[in-house]
Amino acid sequence: MAEEQKKNENQKRRTATKAASMIGPMVKELIAATHRAKAEGKKLAYTFISCHYEEIVRAMDVVPVWTENFAGICGAKRDAERFLSRAESLDFSRSLCSYALCGIGFDQWREDLGEMPPDPPWGGQGRPDMMLSSGQILCDPRNKWYQAAQQFMPDVPNYNFSIPWPLYDDDIELTEIEPYYIKYIVSELKGLIAFLETQTQKRMDYDRLGELVNLTERTWNMIWETYELRRAVPTPMDTGDAMNTMVPWAFMMATQESYNFFAELNRELKEKIARKEGVIKDEKYRLLWGGGLPAWFALKDFNYFNSKGAVFPVETTYRLIEPIYRLNIPDTNDPLERIAYRWFRYWTYMYDKAKKRPGSEPDVERLIQFIEDYKIDGVVMHEAFSCRTWHLGLIWQLSQLKKIYKPVPFLTIGPDGTKNVEHRELPTLILESDIIDINSYSEADTRNRIDAFIETLESIKKQREN
Amino acid sequence: MEEKQKGMWPLVEKYYQDYGSRARELKKDGIKFMGYICSFVPVEIIRAAGFVPFRIRGNVHEPITKGNTQLETIACPFMRSCFDLSFKGHYDFCEGVIIPHACDSMTRSYSVWKYSLGLPYSHFVNVPHTVNAASLQFFEAELNTFRKSLGRYAGKEINTAEIAQAITAYNQLRKKVKALYELRKTNPPLVSGTEMAKLLTVTAGLPVEEANLLCDQALDQLPQRTAPSDKKFPRILIDGACIDNIDLVQLVEESGASVVADDLCLGMRDFWPTTDVDQDPLKALSRRYLEKLNCPRTFRQSPGGSLSDDLQARFGDMGAHIKEFGVDGIIIYVYKYCDPFGFEVSARKAYLSSLGVSILYLEDEYSAGTIGRLRTRIQAFLEMMG
Repeated sequence: MAEEQKKNENQKRRTATKAASMIGPMVKELIAATHRAKAEGKKLAYTFISCHYEEIVRAMDVVPVWTENFAGICGAKRDAERFLSRAESLDFSRSLCSYALCGIGFDQWREDLGEMPPDPPWGGQGRPDMMLSSGQILCDPRNKWYQAAQQFMPDVPNYNFSIPWPLYDDDIELTEIEPYYIKYIVSELKGLIAFLETQTQKRMDYDRLGELVNLTERTWNMIWETYELRRAVPTPMDTGDAMNTMVPWAFMMATQESYNFFAELNRELKEKIARKEGVIKDEKYRLLWGGGLPAWFALKDFNYFNSKGAVFPVETTYRLIEPIYRLNIPDTNDPLERIAYRWFRYWTYMYDKAKKRPGSEPDVERLIQFIEDYKIDGVVMHEAFSCRTWHLGLIWQLSQLKKIYKPVPFLTIGPDGTKNVEHRELPTLILESDIIDINSYSEADTRNRIDAFIETLESIKKQREN
Repeated sequence: MEEKQKGMWPLVEKYYQDYGSRARELKKDGIKFMGYICSFVPVEIIRAAGFVPFRIRGNVHEPITKGNTQLETIACPFMRSCFDLSFKGHYDFCEGVIIPHACDSMTRSYSVWKYSLGLPYSHFVNVPHTVNAASLQFFEAELNTFRKSLGRYAGKEINTAEIAQAITAYNQLRKKVKALYELRKTNPPLVSGTEMAKLLTVTAGLPVEEANLLCDQALDQLPQRTAPSDKKFPRILIDGACIDNIDLVQLVEESGASVVADDLCLGMRDFWPTTDVDQDPLKALSRRYLEKLNCPRTFRQSPGGSLSDDLQARFGDMGAHIKEFGVDGIIIYVYKYCDPFGFEVSARKAYLSSLGVSILYLEDEYSAGTIGRLRTRIQAFLEMMG
């Protein structure tokens, strides 16, 4: 019985695209490459995803070690617990970001032993030469994790740069505040470059930086265009696969390999669409993954949705890109300004749209856009208990969405027998567990909730058909 | 006790037990209130706009209920309690709410506050994470945006002289509170930690002039006190985020210790730093709130590069207070789900251990329901200290 259970746990999640199935070996190679680089004497830096410093780090020939990636791998392999409990024994509460706890537990263990902990997942996380913290407007752990890790690696310098964006406020005119935001972000990026120049004893090559910014912008466009192909009915790729294909976006940005990956995925999706080949044969319900990082240890739940006839053509998670043309970045040859504008305008470009719909906000507006563009029947979110960054405000977003957006027609019969068509909100579901702490997860409870949600979708579908 | 000896304490007690009662009274006279949460909101600008800044407080004795319908339970429990009370209408005399970029719980809940409360005004003050010349310039610009926004709502242009006047009033309050802390240096202290916690909590919900008056009265009265006995108790410093209920401090003092100092938002962290008066008011405010307020959400680049330099830069002020107030033991008190403080516990313990003080680390949930468990831990800690 136990062996059967273990066998089930070890079974790979079924992917719909070849591209997604290639991700495992790619990640292994990414980690192996950091070990080779270390052996060759190259500088390694601990880094966070989506900080828009990829071009700078790569232009300086610093090798990024993506600490969230390693924690996610530990979670996906169901091997995070020993690192989480080690961090807990060092007075880090289990209520804190479990990515960070996993990383800190691993680092402290490695430093304690002077070598990798036993059986480290995929070779383990290499010792960094520096750590690049990121004080954004969101994610306290990006501001605190490396500072905490430094206690166990006191010789490894930690540099923190602050890249804010403004929250949505009705009475703020973006044109008034953008200049001082851009000025500040550019200044912080320059501070980061100065730090890297000191650490590497080499000067930034701004021409090369400009080329990498170009490459990143082309990659953003390619990702957008590729993911938009998923609008097709039946959809050729769903969120289960997107949780794999996030790798070249998050951990390989500003490399030709990332661009090539999405170009290949683009080709694959077009072929599938031509063949009318969907994720599943009989696509009944199209769902939006509307928020929350996935439970990395339970990605097979996406297959469970599929088994019930549900697919996810689109997700907000790891879709932190827009086509560059939509951002209207001012004409400038300064690569740092381009990065700064890309950052600022990515986070704010929905603001004008939100202003036009009373009660809306950019996060809610994004949900509405995806619901309409992808012909969505229901919204699913995941609340990970250890992450406030991406999981606070989900209840409110759904509540606000229901107030201002009611796309589902239903028939009512008045007292005099007249038939009227009214509209109500989309069905929604919030799943609960964590990103990597498996103690928070109950497969039975999760699947019961999914079953109940599917029944709701079924009921609405029948009403529509009638 | 004679009525005269009681002085202002019955009023403090009244305002503490019915927080917001004075605001409701004043509102009838046409005084306007503006709610805010956290020490990073520049109250001077609110005051200069003609509003009384009212610090939104939670209540450890009231279960969080209605708030849970709009806000996830994985948020900071202190902030959830503040939201819950606001959502239930406890602070409906406030015309708006100001929330700063302090932590994820505040930032991610800003929209929830804004829409759930349906207040006429709201604003988010974006505080950068790093401290350098560019950050200070950015923050000054951000404060100017806030000044203009609040001015538009108030129907007036908030001028420099009005901000300077408010700075003076709040500096006076902070200096008076600092003078009150001096009375805690004696052994035993002339004012208990419980009394101070009550007084400081109350001042955050009053017009600054009335808060100044209460402190004046306390400063007149307290030095006349004689110590209740010669018995000397262990001297405790409480370190943590925002404690706006007296229950923990009272528990420590009932267990046989004196709380003589703190590193708390409604305490030395917020009341110690004053605003410079020899420069442009917005520039001075940006410096006070970003550079002088020592909160873990703000990152300070290590000056010397070594870990000990870094710990000294981050916690050195607490180290100085430990010496100044003759502290024997520290209680590190952190709310569950608090990332800024939670990630620092290990480093704080390392630093404080190097000073040779006893340390107790408590993680709590912002609920009076945990008092029994805390009592056991605190009593054991005090016994261990001897």
